[in-house]
Amino acid sequence: MKTYSISRIARACGLSRSTLLYYDRVGLLRSSARTGSGYRVYNEKDLSRLARIRQLREAGLSLKEIRSVLATGGKPGTRLLEERMRKTAEEIVGLKNQQRLLAGMLRKVASGKRPGCVDKQMWIDMLKAAGMDQGAMNRWHTEFERRSPDGHQEFLLSLGIPPSEAARIRSLSRGEPGN
Amino acid sequence: MKNNVNVNDWIAMFRDIGLDQAKMKQWHSLFEARHPNGHQSFLEWLGLKPDEIDRIRSAGR
Repeated sequence: MKTYSISRIARACGLSRSTLLYYDRVGLLRSSARTGSGYRVYNEKDLSRLARIRQLREAGLSLKEIRSVLATGGKPGTRLLEERMRKTAEEIVGLKNQQRLLAGMLRKVASGKRPGCVDKQMWIDMLKAAGMDQGAMNRWHTEFERRSPDGHQEFLLSLGIPPSEAARIRSLSRGEPGN
Repeated sequence: MKNNVNVNDWIAMFRDIGLDQAKMKQWHSLFEARHPNGHQSFLEWLGLKPDEIDRIRSAGR
């Protein structure tokens, strides 16, 4: 039977030597023989066991699960596979959320300010489109200032309004006379 | 900078100045039609969760 050194199968499988040593240590894959000087010698049977380990690993099974699968004839049970399917579905949902968050962050970084692509003119247009006239807009500023002065300030700055103008709008909203 | 105005504050302010439910819906549709990106970032700024944002934006389409 053809035999292989640890470096040889590591290279052939794209695994590191230390991974194979680890598999040996945890009893997942022991070389079937050793040379006189103690080097591990793997045969075809070991190689096919390793191929099976890698296949199960790619399907997301843990080393512990793989060990128990191999110890009981090499076929994973339905329950184990279903459990793995369920976990995979959970991970997909998690990854999708991550993707969405990242896309949102990218948009924010790209636009450089918050709430991003909304500027003063756009905002006024939107309020007008909703049927707000100048009087209603003034009432809106008054309400905003009364309920959340900090939020008002932040919102005005986020529209790209200069601080001096924001201060003027806010003082008018508080019913203080303009200058 | 942390936003300390949430969506309920916002709705309350719009109500106070006379925007009813139908008007607000119309406003979202217009916002979505004219400035989809602005609509998205405004809703994010209000602290809405991604699925709520999707729901509001698709209702406005």
